[in-house]
Amino acid sequence: MSIKTVVGEAQQVGIAIDLIEMGARMQMLQEETTLSRERLLRLYKEIRGESPSKGMLPYSTDWFMSWQPNIHASLFMDIYQFLVKNAGVEGVHALISAYRLYLDEVQGIENDEPVLSITRAWFMIRFFKAGMLRLEPCIECGGHFVAHSGDLNENYVCGICHPPSRAGKTKAARLSATAQLA
Amino acid sequence: MNTMQLQEGIRDINLTYLMLAQQMIKNDRPAAIFRLGISGDLVDVIDNLTPSQIIKMAASNMLLCRFRFDENLLLNLVDDFSRNRKMSQAHAAILMSAHPVEELA
Repeated sequence: MSIKTVVGEAQQVGIAIDLIEMGARMQMLQEETTLSRERLLRLYKEIRGESPSKGMLPYSTDWFMSWQPNIHASLFMDIYQFLVKNAGVEGVHALISAYRLYLDEVQGIENDEPVLSITRAWFMIRFFKAGMLRLEPCIECGGHFVAHSGDLNENYVCGICHPPSRAGKTKAARLSATAQLA
Repeated sequence: MNTMQLQEGIRDINLTYLMLAQQMIKNDRPAAIFRLGISGDLVDVIDNLTPSQIIKMAASNMLLCRFRFDENLLLNLVDDFSRNRKMSQAHAAILMSAHPVEELA
């Protein structure tokens, strides 16, 4: 895609602003926009008021398998695939729309922290394209959940229908419960 | 509730639904398709309705919007809420996104 036109560049800046506001990392911005590294850095500092964090990106498919991350990841991926299939959006626009809807679902209703960051969401889409992850239907509720492609999932049951015994009983959850009682 | 009140209520909901839907579509089309659960063609039709067309459409004695929760989904939600479990809303959203959208016939 050429950004030599003024309109094209303005669109790229708009995409970069959306992504930075959602918390995207530099590597992702460089991949998804055609802007130069210097311009992205300046944009980042203008919007966030700090330099982008350095270091490796969270690169692991196993993260998506534990209980809470799996539900959040499945929620995002279901929204993403719904949009690609029904709303005719694609690429980075689908990512931005789906992530917005995911944030609304999580913050508006659950009063929960968004567990899935935009960078992980972006990675997950790439994992799906590479065939490392796929969506598996739960035999009890029929919802689709993120699972490893190589696993044998013939009678897959999702983490909501059969939560592991200690699911959701984290230190943070206990603290907020006692805070409510007090 | 007599018939007059009933019809008035239905017309109210129709009008509110159409106006809300149009607003949602104008704000963010992909998000509106997800939230309303209707196809892109149908979204375009609603988007292009003029105010007078909306009022005419709303003045029907039948509800324009359909119940989206089918039996399974509804049972799941009731079950989850009675057990007061977290994630039931996320679960509903996951199940809902697997549903096909309402298409134009």
